Amino acid sequence: MEKSLKTLMILSSAVIICFLPGHGAETSPGFEQPILLTSAGQSADVQIAGVLFKRAGLTASLSKNATQQDLGDSKTLALVIGVSMKGLGAAGLDLDQEKTRIRELIEAAQNKGISLLCLHLGGEARRGELSDQMIRAVLPQAQMVIVVKSGNKDGLFSRICTENNIPLHEAVRTGEVQNPLKNLFTQN
Amino acid sequence: MIRKGIFSIKTFFPFFFLLPFFIFQISCRTQTLKLREPPADRHRPHDYIGKKGMVVAAHPEAVRAGLNTLKAGGNAVDAAIATAFALNAAEPFASGIGGGGFMVIYLAEEQKVTVINFREKAPAKASPTMYWEKGEIQNTWRRSHGLAVAVPGALAGWAYALEKYGTMILGDVLEPGLRIAEQGIPVSQTFSQINKDEYEKILQNSGESTAYLNDGFPYEPGDIYRNPELANTFRRLASHGWHDFYEGAIAGKIAEAVQRSDGIMTLADLARYSPIEQPPLTGKYKGFTLYTIQPPGSGGLHIIQLLNIIAHWPVQKWGFAETSYIHHLSEAFRFVFADKARYLGDPDFVPVPIRKLLSEDYARRIAETIIPENCQKNYPFGSFDKKQIAKDNTTHLGVIDTHGNIVSLTQSINDFFGSGIVPEGCGFLLNNEMADFSPQPDSVNSPGPNRRPVSSMAPLILFKGKRPFLVLGSPGGTRIFTSLTQIIVNIVEFGMSMDEAIEAPRFFTYSSGGAARNLFVESRIPPAILRSLERIGHTVEVREAYDKYFGGAQGILIDQDKRILIGGADSRRDGFGAGY
Repeated sequence: MEKSLKTLMILSSAVIICFLPGHGAETSPGFEQPILLTSAGQSADVQIAGVLFKRAGLTASLSKNATQQDLGDSKTLALVIGVSMKGLGAAGLDLDQEKTRIRELIEAAQNKGISLLCLHLGGEARRGELSDQMIRAVLPQAQMVIVVKSGNKDGLFSRICTENNIPLHEAVRTGEVQNPLKNLFTQN
Repeated sequence: MIRKGIFSIKTFFPFFFLLPFFIFQISCRTQTLKLREPPADRHRPHDYIGKKGMVVAAHPEAVRAGLNTLKAGGNAVDAAIATAFALNAAEPFASGIGGGGFMVIYLAEEQKVTVINFREKAPAKASPTMYWEKGEIQNTWRRSHGLAVAVPGALAGWAYALEKYGTMILGDVLEPGLRIAEQGIPVSQTFSQINKDEYEKILQNSGESTAYLNDGFPYEPGDIYRNPELANTFRRLASHGWHDFYEGAIAGKIAEAVQRSDGIMTLADLARYSPIEQPPLTGKYKGFTLYTIQPPGSGGLHIIQLLNIIAHWPVQKWGFAETSYIHHLSEAFRFVFADKARYLGDPDFVPVPIRKLLSEDYARRIAETIIPENCQKNYPFGSFDKKQIAKDNTTHLGVIDTHGNIVSLTQSINDFFGSGIVPEGCGFLLNNEMADFSPQPDSVNSPGPNRRPVSSMAPLILFKGKRPFLVLGSPGGTRIFTSLTQIIVNIVEFGMSMDEAIEAPRFFTYSSGGAARNLFVESRIPPAILRSLERIGHTVEVREAYDKYFGGAQGILIDQDKRILIGGADSRRDGFGAGY
């Protein structure tokens, strides 16, 4: 009786571990450098991503307003999703112009066979009508998505990733995004 | 058996003797005041009620600091300064000793209103062309560079108020702030979001190891934010006095930090700084009298202008947030912005035609120019900066004490996290108020030696007859006076309660170079109304439902008949209130 209970506990633990957030990263596609890092929505989260890439030992070329000309010989396009009205204002863009820039950039990346990695680092605070519009427009085209968990409280990222068969990694804290990033680029 | 033994009278007998001791112990511990929490849905209007005194501010810990000061026998000025220090520790991104502001004080016994202007000043080497290079304006120099930093006035202003109108000493009123800085506070959603928004500037000017970042990254909600260096600065101010900030070791660190970032502020600029006490600016609206600040604080003047214009319209008949109401007010905003650009500067250096701007005839002519069918083609005067930077910073606090003294205080370091520059080892942020000057050399508000930049701040006290009725103020950059006008109208015309008036959906627009700019609205305004506004000619831009772009107002309504104080604090930020 005691033995079977133990077995049951081990099995349940294994099942729980398999479904723990973050597990997706282990089965995620490998990404390669060079990396073009840009914002989708002009929030300052792209700068956070810059530090995360640096701490992960990766070299990413950061351009907040990157266009298809900036893709160069990049093998990965990393988009940091999050709309900031302040950021858009400072860049002299409105949301429609920003959406157009991102759409054209993704199309160009797809034509060149460049992988798309999407990051959402702003948590719950970087959600809302405008950011959600951007998330819905961009996310289905990603090969991999990394989010700070509080940004996925309502399961929006999980739903889109499940529907489109995209691996999703949830990190509890921003700083914890560093390791999955490192792993993604060292698989190849 | 055992049960019976435990609950026998004999067992409890010694406890009865100890009971008073326990009660005393518990009452001592409740010195850390328990504040009544607002409802879980923070946007649901919630009025704070008090009988003797009340504090409203942008952070619960700051409110606690103010209320404890009142309960310890301090007056409204003591409590306001304690709240201001606590805000520096708990809401460091919006104000602090590295910034400046204005306070309106009502002295109940003398029935006198006075204003303390502790707005920052430009350094002596400032010039109208200081932001130009190779024929272009260098906007970075205005916002996140040593040239962005104006001489801070907050500490001098607080100390002036405390010494003249307070009852406590500096060391007492800074103590709660010191404790917050040392022990830390849980980071709110608002703090975290702003920290993320300003990450680039903080990283660039303060580095990854600053207390304003958590191991190099923005704070997440729930993280504990501590600032031991700020605590040490407060400790030094308590022991060396506030002059140390302007003439002592702290002054040296400020000048060094600014000059290291290619700024022009010197020790002489700091030593020269002094706040000004001046009479309030007053205006009338129906049976109410409004007391607010003089220019270079422009917000109060524009609220009076707007109320003068609104007095010509049947706003109650139009109804709250109806097309006619939003259209007419929006048009009035645009005319007032034209005046702001044309006339507003530091009155010590340029003449500001206050009498003309506040005359009823002038308001009537604007009201008559505005027509219900469509927007104007031209809003005369001025060339307000075409590309407005979305500033939603600053902070406001209000205090009423048991004697009826009142403080309405608005202060800022300008943009959130100011310039991002922190004097080494001091833990406080330096402002970027130089960005409030116009970069245009021919503007009435261009930078110049020792000038104060125009501010939209508008701390105010509204009287009904001869008795105080409403204490109000808000952050929000150029939205300050448009939002405060809407709150006053919500209360006076639409009969809303204090917090209902604060939480109600807001709108904002302005004019630039004579042309109308977009009409920004919170998404709670019904789509049908937005469509009808578009038909009249407004270009509508919808923002979040509760968007801090429109400010974060705090207010206290005084019901003189029921003898109660009704506080309201804005859920667009971390507004909080408490009374007793």
